[in-house]
Amino acid sequence: MVQFSYELAGVDVEALLPPALHPTLPLLAQWLCWSVPRSPWGTFNLCMLRLSCRSGARPRLFLRRAVIDNMAAGAGLAAGWGFHVSEAQVSLDRHYDCAEVRVHEGGRTTLAARAVAPEPLSPSDLQFFSAMHGASLPQGLRLVQFDSAIEARRAERYRPVIQDYDAAAWGDGAIRPDYPVTAFGASADITLQPVRFLCLPDELAFTGTERVAPEPSNPKEID
Amino acid sequence: MKFGIFFELSVPRPFLPSNERLVYENALEQVRLADELGFSTAWAVEHHFLEEYSHCSAPELFLTACAMQTRNIRVGHGAVVCVPEMNHPIRVAERAAVLDLLSGGRLEFGTARSSTWTELAGFQVDPDHTKKTWDEFVRAIPKMWTEARYAHDGVCFSMPERAVLPKPLQRPHPPMWVTVTSPGTELDAAERGIGALGVATAGFAEQERRTREYHRRVQLCDPVGDAVNDRVATLNQLFCHEDIKEAARWGNGLVNAFGLANAHLLFTREAYPTRAYGLLGNLAAGASARKKVTEDPGVGAKLPEGSAIGDPERIIAIIKQWESIGIDEINFFLNALEVIPQVKVLDSMRLFAAEVMPHFADQAPAKSAPAPVSA
Repeated sequence: MVQFSYELAGVDVEALLPPALHPTLPLLAQWLCWSVPRSPWGTFNLCMLRLSCRSGARPRLFLRRAVIDNMAAGAGLAAGWGFHVSEAQVSLDRHYDCAEVRVHEGGRTTLAARAVAPEPLSPSDLQFFSAMHGASLPQGLRLVQFDSAIEARRAERYRPVIQDYDAAAWGDGAIRPDYPVTAFGASADITLQPVRFLCLPDELAFTGTERVAPEPSNPKEID
Repeated sequence: MKFGIFFELSVPRPFLPSNERLVYENALEQVRLADELGFSTAWAVEHHFLEEYSHCSAPELFLTACAMQTRNIRVGHGAVVCVPEMNHPIRVAERAAVLDLLSGGRLEFGTARSSTWTELAGFQVDPDHTKKTWDEFVRAIPKMWTEARYAHDGVCFSMPERAVLPKPLQRPHPPMWVTVTSPGTELDAAERGIGALGVATAGFAEQERRTREYHRRVQLCDPVGDAVNDRVATLNQLFCHEDIKEAARWGNGLVNAFGLANAHLLFTREAYPTRAYGLLGNLAAGASARKKVTEDPGVGAKLPEGSAIGDPERIIAIIKQWESIGIDEINFFLNALEVIPQVKVLDSMRLFAAEVMPHFADQAPAKSAPAPVSA
């Protein structure tokens, strides 16, 4: 996986996040790309745009958009986690001295980013947080907490360079990378856990959270 | 056991100038009362850009106002951020010395390195370097205070020989502290012979372990200054009321308001992977890649173990427990985001002073700097 983080500036955060979630200051946008060689749905590459936020007092990321190059995997994510993805050509290439992520949609590049100047880190230096995404469920619109247990085996920190970015294609012209924060790369085993928490999108998590499963079971292992 | 008060100067929205002024005025009134009641120290943080959580970006000015309105209470930098992009070390030494002079030798000098991405990035600070610059600052500043002229050829700053003026009133110099958030910083404090100023909430068992290790190591310290400060202070919340239910009502409001504001900070480790910052925050559990945070978002802040919230009898018992594990000083938050009306804050302080303080015999205004190294 490779992730690029940038601060956003001059954005209307209330328009970017549902009322239940609160922005961090500053608001960070993270483009996280997974290149998955093995999964229950075969090989896939997934790129997600997420915003840093809080659900109640917990650090979370809010998924704004995701693209994938294997719609069977996309269907699996949708069926298991209410995770909506669009089809695109997604590539992640890791070299000795850099990593590159490219997303092509509709015949044009919507994201081209390079992670340069690698510095080795301990995998334990990385922090991973649960994400939230909106999903239409039988009971109505809900925020789904997307938990994934990540066992990183190798990690590097990079300097992020976004070379090409189509803000409109990523769903909202307001999300434009402003101030580079960091990038990291890792090799990891990722276990997607069953959905445990649903939150009302317009109510504070303290009163708007519903637990729907006790503990992880039957996880889908990918790596 | 000494008791201090600790200010973040948190401001509820909307950020009208009148609201910010009210927070500062209320804090100054609390400091004046604390001085009358025999609290030992009024501490103020240095934070930048932390909307709501802390509007205390120029603590040297606030602490000067505190000193000018009081007679005995000590004034504490809790703490000066020791990275050159925020504060040049010469200016830190100069400002602290002036505050010590103006206060009549009542300065406690706390040092820190900042823990949020919001602040570090705002000043273009590399998070990997802050421990190094802090170390350089705490070794240089006492020499600027004690040597007639000082020269420095270092990593984060250099200067030709100059007289750094004025010199502080306290001899050999004001007591030095470092704020302790990440586990292990108390050892940095002990090795350098400076006090451990706890600014993170920790339970009894964890605090006891860290305090014991601090006291063991400080005996073997190589002091950075001409005096050793071997005290351990911890941070707590105070709301004292005869009716324990009323105390819990307002005290929990204080804890929740502070906890929620704190949870919204963007701590460095969340934004930027680095081994220079070991904890996710000063309240959050230290999450690692192997122990992923997946807690229920519906669960709010909990009352920290050992909080000084309750009736006098309960608070006395709690403080005796802190005392038993080697804590020398407890610094109290009195309010957060102004959720407790000022009159209730002042009443809580009065009740604490009348009913709790007498049970801790050595509680009195601090008088002097710690003993010189040679003593």
